[in-house]
Amino acid sequence: MQWDLNWFICTLRSSIGKKLIMALTGLGFCIFLIAHLAGNLTIYAGEDAFNSYAERLQALGSLVVLAEIGLLFFAVAHVFIGAYLFYENFRARPERYLIKKNAGGRTIGSVTMPYTGLFILFFIVLHLIDFHFVEKTDQTIYQIILETFSNPGYAFFYIVSMIIVATHVSHGFWSAFQTLGVYNSEYMSLLRVMGTIFSLAVGLGFGFLPIYILFIS
Amino acid sequence: MQLDSKIPDGPLSEKWDRHRFELKLVNPANKRKFKIIVVGTGLAGGSASATLAELGYEVMTFCIQDSPRRAHSIAAQGGINAAKNYQNDGDSIWRLFYDTIKGGDFRSREANVYRLAQISNNIIDQCVAQGIPFAREYGGQLANRSFGGAQVSRTFYARGQTGQQLLLGAYGSLSRQIAAGKVRLFTRREMLELVVIDGKARGIIARNLVSGEQEKHAADAVVLASGGYGNAFYLSTNAMGSNISAAIASYRKGASFANPCFIQFHPTCIPVHGTYQSKLTLMSESLRNDGRVWVPRNPEDKRPPDQIPETERDYYLEEKYPGFGNLVPRDVASRSAKVQCDMGKGVGDTKLAVYLDIKDAIERDGRDVITEKYGNLFEMYEKITAQNPYETPMMIYPAVHYTMGGLWVDYNLMSAIPGLFVLGEANFSDHGANRLGASALMQGLADGYFIIPYTIGGYLAQASLDTVREDHSAFNESSLQVETRIKKLLSIEGKRTVDDFHRELGHILWENCGMTRKDKGLKKARGLVADLRAEFWENVLVGGSGKEFNQSLEKAGRVADFLDIGELMVIDALERKESCGCHFNEAFQTEENEALRDDENFRHVSAWEYRGEGCDPVFQKEPLEFENVELTQRSYK
Amino acid sequence: MTKTGDKSCINLKLKVWRQKGPDVKGRFETYKTRDVSTDMSFLEMLDVVNEEMILSGKDPIAFDHDCREGICGACGAVVNGRAHGPEKGTTLCQLHMRHFSNGDTVVIEPWRSRAFKVVKDLVVDRSVFDEIIQAGGYISVNTGGAPDGNAIPVPQAAAEKAMDAAACIGCGACVAACPNASAMLFVGAKISQFTLLPQGLPEAKKRALAMIGKMDELGFGNCTNEAECEKECPKEISIENIARMNCEFFKAGFL
Ligand SMILES: Cc1cc2nc3c(=O)[nH]c(=O)nc-3n(C[C@H](O)[C@H](O)[C@H](O)COP(=O)(O)OP(=O)(O)OC[C@H]3O[C@@H](n4cnc5c(N)ncnc54)[C@H](O)[C@@H]3O)c2cc1C
Ligand code: SF4
Ligand code: FES
Repeated sequence: MQWDLNWFICTLRSSIGKKLIMALTGLGFCIFLIAHLAGNLTIYAGEDAFNSYAERLQALGSLVVLAEIGLLFFAVAHVFIGAYLFYENFRARPERYLIKKNAGGRTIGSVTMPYTGLFILFFIVLHLIDFHFVEKTDQTIYQIILETFSNPGYAFFYIVSMIIVATHVSHGFWSAFQTLGVYNSEYMSLLRVMGTIFSLAVGLGFGFLPIYILFIS
Repeated sequence: MQLDSKIPDGPLSEKWDRHRFELKLVNPANKRKFKIIVVGTGLAGGSASATLAELGYEVMTFCIQDSPRRAHSIAAQGGINAAKNYQNDGDSIWRLFYDTIKGGDFRSREANVYRLAQISNNIIDQCVAQGIPFAREYGGQLANRSFGGAQVSRTFYARGQTGQQLLLGAYGSLSRQIAAGKVRLFTRREMLELVVIDGKARGIIARNLVSGEQEKHAADAVVLASGGYGNAFYLSTNAMGSNISAAIASYRKGASFANPCFIQFHPTCIPVHGTYQSKLTLMSESLRNDGRVWVPRNPEDKRPPDQIPETERDYYLEEKYPGFGNLVPRDVASRSAKVQCDMGKGVGDTKLAVYLDIKDAIERDGRDVITEKYGNLFEMYEKITAQNPYETPMMIYPAVHYTMGGLWVDYNLMSAIPGLFVLGEANFSDHGANRLGASALMQGLADGYFIIPYTIGGYLAQASLDTVREDHSAFNESSLQVETRIKKLLSIEGKRTVDDFHRELGHILWENCGMTRKDKGLKKARGLVADLRAEFWENVLVGGSGKEFNQSLEKAGRVADFLDIGELMVIDALERKESCGCHFNEAFQTEENEALRDDENFRHVSAWEYRGEGCDPVFQKEPLEFENVELTQRSYK
Repeated sequence: MTKTGDKSCINLKLKVWRQKGPDVKGRFETYKTRDVSTDMSFLEMLDVVNEEMILSGKDPIAFDHDCREGICGACGAVVNGRAHGPEKGTTLCQLHMRHFSNGDTVVIEPWRSRAFKVVKDLVVDRSVFDEIIQAGGYISVNTGGAPDGNAIPVPQAAAEKAMDAAACIGCGACVAACPNASAMLFVGAKISQFTLLPQGLPEAKKRALAMIGKMDELGFGNCTNEAECEKECPKEISIENIARMNCEFFKAGFL
């Protein structure tokens, strides 16, 4: 590889560069999750609060579109590079071990990363069809949610999905910082704790919604 | 016959400078026309390969491991000496020189040892520049510790992994030259023959250990840095692959072998615990800085160590040698342990061990300080013995560790065969009859970084060398020799494994040519080794073929050579009718049971010249002149 | 009194990967071994098995080893799914049989990675590690002319951290244990050592780019921060060194 030519591209194309893209796009999704969660929390404040939040979001207009394009772009990068890394990593060990045990480094989150990732992709597509590209002229978004979640099968699917998202994030969050080069071990322990809190917040914050809507509100 | 050591004239402190000036130089443009083979990638071979390549020579480097970084030097723990006097405790080049000469019981050359002490300082500078993470003081300065045989603190260290770090430094430099195309590296290659043409070393035959193929390599000079032969004893602290084959092959081609009986026993090793045991593990001697060696006063005392009160413990080193205490040189410490065990005062199941107790140091300095210094050693001890040194004293016993003997070389490190240079533990040069701790690393690096680069130039500049290629008949002859021998080894198909013979050889040598020797035992051993060798060549079972990766065959070749060096060792020990350093013949001792030298008759290097299969080697003498130090009875009281 | 005196023996069933050469298909073979002293090291146990095999005319199990004290990095195999066996911070040669129980089945496999070809049985070719070092794992100084050792003070903490990283023995367990067969810990350790020391700084950028570039060429997998390497590394080298390497790489690649 020629390091002096196209250095920027070269850096990104290297193994660490690919990791960097995974980390940055992943962190981008984490920020999105925070914003999304913050918005959704208004559901717990009641129907009106949520609907007015949704309206105000709509009012932002082109800004939202911009963010959506950004997210799409991130998603494409995250998915394709993730898939490519998965393929390369698979190829790196042509003959598998008869027995391979966990030495204590891997977590459920890290072991399942590619699979949870694939699932999340599937979930997002469904989620967008159900809530984003849905016809909203004659019903409020709250009504749509209510209707969708009233199907217990869907509610269950949604809760499971959120657990899976939380699992993905439990590894992804700290891992992104490790990739970004946080080598100070004190910060790293802090980030690991934050990662756990964040994944719990995501899992509970989103996952509890159907239960709340169906049984409590 | 007398050997000419080619020691330069002039005052001791000027010899090396003057010699460097007088050596002919090779024109920089011509250097790349010279090919040099370096066998070995330990501290000596690694540093030599790198430096010769930096100078512009075309270098080919060989090692038996899969990577140059795994040479046996990697295992050195304690440290490396230098006369920096950073501690302001009175050290100097002269003191390091004197300590080394005295430590070697006045059986080494003044000029060599002085040069070593001079160069020691450059080594530290070089290694620091290479990024070796030596231990540091809080202020960022280099830290030192003290080591056996010295009363000043001059040992530089990188935790308990000094050899590893120094070797990785040399390996780094070597790697840089490989990348630059100046060194061609041949790993998993074993040199089996030296090729001599017109009386000069011109190449080697090596076996590719993976494919079994033989390779011929021609060069203008051959540098041997293949390490020591401690493994002749089967159990030693050396790595399993350490061997004498390259040196013995050279000996058979005319290089004399000097002082083969000078073998060092390291006092602080983990004792033997079973017949299946394959090697002995060293606990760094630096432990003697803080540890106290003792045995129960009463041989019948069967209590666990913590129940034996102070008054019933015999701190025999401190009592007998108040001046140096636990820091007496290795030979003295080892022999003392053997004496205690021979008196029945040994501890542990086998009664072949003494205690090394760190308790007082922990009380004095606190556990943290001690952990910082020795933590990794304690962990290692616990892994092997399942005992915790913080709680119960360690058990130690001497083990074969280092061979001061080796191929004879002159001041230029050239052997009796012109064009064959020998460096590091493989030569005999600097340690006399006993090596002080932390000075093998120093010698290996001095030889490789700072001596051979000059002296080889002197040789190449004046030797008129014809071009020699691998199709020269001498290469074919040597190659045939190798092939015949391998065929022979494989065709015997006897009943005993290679290891079995090796174990027996080790036992014979340990019993009769070990820490203490008797003429009677030595004579017996000579017969036993000869018989064992005869049996080996009739009854060994190797298995497999020569054209594949065959570790049993590798071992067989090495053990065959150990049998030869074993015999030479015994012959040499018999010839030296005195005690000096590690060579302790019970017939020659002072009233206080110290080694009694005979300077009048044995103030010389004994070298042995090969005279063919079945013939006794011929004795050669290099007298040692001492103009700058007074020969004294070593005393560490 | 002492546990060393415990002469207990165990019987084991070994399931060992046998492979004649790099391009030959390998398979597992099963051997029974009796009366293994628990004081033996793992390699000594293999020695005994091999000795019996030689005597009965079989091809002994090939394995790399040299120092047998955990420092040369030659030995290594995956034992019951764990690189260098089940003990923490231990090379295979330092693993003792007291960690096994009578009747155990012990599965022994070579390091498996595309970058490490099997030479024979448990012996693999790790020369790719040498290639990575050749790409820049050193400080470019020629012999001679170095300034006094104390001319550049090195903060003690930095020297200690550099030493933590420099302790790597190049055994390859990190690659073997990594679910992705990545060599990041090995490379990270070397890059870190020189980043932490003032002597290493002048070449820091070049070194990071060259070593990582070489690593990428050689067929290792990509790091996904699983931390298995750190857990299996016999020298317990921290993945903090991987983070430091990443940081160095970005500095070199983008700044
Ligand atoms: C456990 C231990 C601890 C030690 N601690 C210290 C210490 O603290 N301080 C100190 O100063 N000294 C110490 N020593 C001694 C010191 O480590 C050695 O004397 C020194 O490292 C020898 O270096 P060398 O370069 O001569 O040979 P080695 O490092 O032994 O290298 C020999 C090289 O030759 C190669 N080779 C051998 N035979 C052949 C062949 N036939 N063909 C091709 N290649 C071959 C090998 O592959 C290897 O690369 C210690 C020794 C041991 C065993
Ligand atoms: S980082 Fe650890 S596991 Fe990897 S090669 Fe170095 S010592 Fe072995
Ligand atoms: S044999 Fe050297 S590390 Fe295991």
